Amino acid sequence: MSRVYKIASESSVIVYFGSSIDPAISQEVQKAYLALKAEKCESFFEIIPSYASLMVSYDLMQFDFDGVCAKIEKIIHHAEEITMSEPKIITIPTYYGVEVGLDLQLLAEEKNLSVEEIIALHVKGLYSVYAIGFAPGFAYLGEIDERLATSRLASPRKAVPKGSVSIADRQTAVYPSQSPGGWKVLGRTPTAMFDAAYDGLSLLHVGDHVQFEPISKAEFLRLGGEL
Amino acid sequence: MSRGFLVENGGVQSCIQDAGRRGFSDIGLTQSGAMDEMAFGYANFLVGNDFNTSTIEIALGGVTLKAQEEMCIAICGATMHPKLNGHTMSLWQVHQLKKGDVLSFGYASEGQFAYLAVAGGFQTPHLYGSFSTSIKEGLGGIEGRKLKAGDQLPTSGARCPMDRRKLEKQHIPHYPDEITLRLVKGYQEEMFDNKAQETFFNSVYTFKGEGDRMGYRLSGEKVVPSTTGILSEPICYGAVQIPSHGEPIVLLKERQTIGGYPKIGSVIAVDCFKLAQLRAGGRVRFVEVSLEEARRVTHAFYTFFGAKGV
Repeated sequence: MSRVYKIASESSVIVYFGSSIDPAISQEVQKAYLALKAEKCESFFEIIPSYASLMVSYDLMQFDFDGVCAKIEKIIHHAEEITMSEPKIITIPTYYGVEVGLDLQLLAEEKNLSVEEIIALHVKGLYSVYAIGFAPGFAYLGEIDERLATSRLASPRKAVPKGSVSIADRQTAVYPSQSPGGWKVLGRTPTAMFDAAYDGLSLLHVGDHVQFEPISKAEFLRLGGEL
Repeated sequence: MSRGFLVENGGVQSCIQDAGRRGFSDIGLTQSGAMDEMAFGYANFLVGNDFNTSTIEIALGGVTLKAQEEMCIAICGATMHPKLNGHTMSLWQVHQLKKGDVLSFGYASEGQFAYLAVAGGFQTPHLYGSFSTSIKEGLGGIEGRKLKAGDQLPTSGARCPMDRRKLEKQHIPHYPDEITLRLVKGYQEEMFDNKAQETFFNSVYTFKGEGDRMGYRLSGEKVVPSTTGILSEPICYGAVQIPSHGEPIVLLKERQTIGGYPKIGSVIAVDCFKLAQLRAGGRVRFVEVSLEEARRVTHAFYTFFGAKGV
């Protein structure tokens, strides 16, 4: 597939692999990201992947634009031959009670489904980590069942509780810490998404697969969850 | 490690900053770092520090600090009328403090950010490769927050190599109410047709004070991109995004790492520093600059300060 290199700034280049949310495109981005990271090129200060693009911020003392594009292309070109190892599957225990699933009722009414059906649809998916952004450890996971697809809240919450498992459009995510946000909240996990104790600081990394596992309120509390 | 400063009044928003955090954007950590690296760079230079040494970034003023030991400092940036034990002191030069000295800042009359550097830097916690505070994320610096009364800011106790060093007048920057920002076109520039680009480059925008360390929103002639949103993608320093309301937002040190609004290009680093110092009510024009020229200017800036890698 052809890649498009564009200027982002005097020291950043953005590479487009496509323009849609598509597992095949995302796979390419991930391969390129992993290959660039593995190169451990000290002149690449930031390598940020997203759905269909990847940005490299580079040392302009070392590279000019054409030079950096050639270097990236060379590394990515080899990456095409890499067979990706099986993605890591990470299970996120989630308590889907209405006291923490702040928008469960609302969503059930909007979708003409029962709360149980909504939970079942959310739990059955195996989601890919497409990108991490918005906040440290905030992973964009996709895609949720079409029957759950929903808009953001008309008025975002000032404070979404830490660990909130939420959805918007065809995406799902966990809020790593309390923050403002407009995604609809279905439940809460006691698992930390961002922690200095994790290798790489974030529980999830681009390319990982994620499963949500329903747990009881008692289990949620036992695992350190807070209501 | 020695006792350094005791914060008696944290002011409007003061926090520990160095040149920022590198290499964690892929897990969503913001870059952070000094909003104006030029004033930051001069403050460190005067006290004999490497470019990337931690300083106190003081926004708007109102700070009072008490020296708990002998110290060698320099204050550069916004004019906040600092006083040493009640006596006026000058910016852009080295000062020797004695134990018990009280340093107090008024409110800025020119510019927004001042930097207080101490020889050897502040010995506050070093987190993920930087001393910088990310206010948005509540991370780094002192417990991820702005300084408040009672905070202790230890130093290394180092001496200045030249205890009367001052910056020559012709090098001292000023912070006018009207600035021109050089922009390298890129990202979604094709989503802005000729008419939109003409509007963008021929308008004078006003900074009404809608902004923080994440970015500054400008008000003025609306520029309409051909689409309202794009697939979320990475955002770099200085990126100018134009949401559907049509007014540009220049993204600065605590920007989100990924976003979904069309971007016309990016303001070069040196001009982002100028923008950071612009006060509410200030005016902004954009002018296109070639990539070669942008590279040359940014390269020259970091070479001047002897920064390792940009």
